[in-house]
Amino acid sequence: MTGVEIVRRPARRSLLVPAVAGTAATTLVAAGSSAGALLCALGTVVLLAGVASARHGLVDGGGLVAFLGIVFAATNGATAGPVVFGTTATVVAWDAGGNAISIGRQLGNRVDSTRVEVVHAVAGAAVGLVTALVGLMLFRVGPTRQPVTTLFVLLLAAVLLVAALNR
Amino acid sequence: MTEDDAPTVRRSAGEFGGAPARSSDDVVEATSADGDDASRDDPGGSDSGDRKDGSGSDQDPADETGNGATGDSAEEAGDHAAGDSAEEAGDHATGDRPAGATTVEASRLSSTDHWLGIAAVTFLTAGLGVLTQSRPLFLAAVVGVGYLAYANATEAPEPSLAVTRAVTDPNPEPGDRVGVRVTVTNAGDGVLPDLRIVDHVPDALAAVDGPARTATALRPGASVTFAYTVLARRGEFTFDGLDVVARNVSGSRERALELRTEPTTITCLPPLDATETVPLHGLTSPYTGRVSTDSAGEGVEFASLREYQHGDALSRIDWNRYARDGDLATMEFREERMATVVVLVELRKAAYLQAGPDGPHAVDRSIEATRRLFNSLIDTGDRVGVATLAPDDVWQAPGAGPTHQAEVRNLLATHPTLSPTPPSDRVYVPGYLRTFLHRLADDAQVVFVSPVPDRTSEYVARAIHVRDHPVTVISPDSTRTDTPGRTLAAAERSNRLASLRESGLRVVDWDPEESLAEALARGRRRWSG
Repeated sequence: MTGVEIVRRPARRSLLVPAVAGTAATTLVAAGSSAGALLCALGTVVLLAGVASARHGLVDGGGLVAFLGIVFAATNGATAGPVVFGTTATVVAWDAGGNAISIGRQLGNRVDSTRVEVVHAVAGAAVGLVTALVGLMLFRVGPTRQPVTTLFVLLLAAVLLVAALNR
Repeated sequence: MTEDDAPTVRRSAGEFGGAPARSSDDVVEATSADGDDASRDDPGGSDSGDRKDGSGSDQDPADETGNGATGDSAEEAGDHAAGDSAEEAGDHATGDRPAGATTVEASRLSSTDHWLGIAAVTFLTAGLGVLTQSRPLFLAAVVGVGYLAYANATEAPEPSLAVTRAVTDPNPEPGDRVGVRVTVTNAGDGVLPDLRIVDHVPDALAAVDGPARTATALRPGASVTFAYTVLARRGEFTFDGLDVVARNVSGSRERALELRTEPTTITCLPPLDATETVPLHGLTSPYTGRVSTDSAGEGVEFASLREYQHGDALSRIDWNRYARDGDLATMEFREERMATVVVLVELRKAAYLQAGPDGPHAVDRSIEATRRLFNSLIDTGDRVGVATLAPDDVWQAPGAGPTHQAEVRNLLATHPTLSPTPPSDRVYVPGYLRTFLHRLADDAQVVFVSPVPDRTSEYVARAIHVRDHPVTVISPDSTRTDTPGRTLAAAERSNRLASLRESGLRVVDWDPEESLAEALARGRRRWSG
């Protein structure tokens, strides 16, 4: 007697969040640099292929390529807004992709995981957006040069403190 | 002290215990918890395999234990011991376990490595931002730091869950589809942002519709319900476990739990059905029955004539002969006696054979045959017992009557030894035979139900036969001839059967295509011819 075969891959709808986030990143970068946008699009495609075939390596690689697109755009004169939000979108795409694979591998593709994936994606996006907005605000409002480095170092210190407290 | 050493903590469902939608007529009362589920095979996608697969792919447990995890878990364990066990003691004292209470069997905290690369990328970006004097890039690194904080800020939640399970039919017939609904409620105070649940489907059952698993996010008091369908088969099956993986919101840490829930049992008894009469050997008990014997006496079938002796019944005098010759002679008939039969089912590991992935299973057919043989022998007035050739041996002494019948029916349906999963131990055959022959009454004959997978089965049949307990072998055929190896195995089996026939045993080779009745009828023709 054979039961239901469990296909250990993410469901098709799990592709939605990475696809939307990846497209958003590409669109944002396209405003600054078309070569960067191309890299970003390529990374998104690889990432989606990784999600579809449940391979973490492809998702990581795709996310990295997409981010390199953003770095390329940033070093070629893209403004802060697109770079920061593009980064957030890339991270959301990569995070949602990895999460979808872990759910797919653990539970198979016939489980309705919409709720848990949406919660994960929304939380991830919120964190990225808040950080990006705070960063941008300080960047725009604060005096030139100093605050960004200071912000980075301050945030880093906070993270280390949190990590140390957690241990 | 590691997480695994932590005292088992019973979680009370608290005020949310009654919350899961649980209609009382739908829910099966807990019957028995066997507590043994040492090996858990895949019920259509392995549960245990699952966890390994899933976690293995997402993390490396070995390197985790080396790092922070041990420190963490020690702390956790301490927490458990201090906080929860006090509560638990209280719970015990009142003896009031809320509905759906679960026990944590095993708990493992680990990192998922989901955000592993983010730190490196963040620092590289920041460095590049400094080098190229690019402020946007530096801001991108700030976003990375935000995610770094997000990944490290929270710990995997410790879920406190109440679980109720309802089955549509606790007493299905074999082949029925039984729906199982599992409701899991977050009985704790914290939000569970990422909860993955896999139900423990009993080994032998297969989930045929809907996976027995789900993923969801639960706020306190909320519950999730998932449903699946299993195909019932003979036996008693207990649903009493649940695998849970709870992750924190960022997915950086996870806690894998094995929960024991209130048991829900389905008992599947096959219907009472008999086959046509079973051909038996001439060895019988002194009681009147249906087996014609060679001894002459009262009966129906004519046997012989003998000289009249004083006191012979008038009805048995051959009056035709008296009219012809004037001699008195008494007719004798073949006596019909009752037989004592023990049906011996072979359940050694070697007998667990299946003809192809979807073919009928030899042990299933053996037990099916045993049931039919038993029912028809009982119907024809014989005394029948049941025994198994298995590591945990089952012995039901020959008997008759409705109580005996009910006992054996129950035994055949629900005894763990007769479950469809192969035993792990081996049988010490000489010792077994000694016990078996000792138990066997002098006038008992044996019906040996076995696929005859190897020489041991042949030896057992022969050993019983030579000790004056005539043996009829009923052998479900599970061989195939699609590869040379299988053809060889089939040939070897048929040689074994032939050699048993030569030794005077009756052998019924039961093809998967034909019914048991057909096979028996074929066998009988051979013997009478």
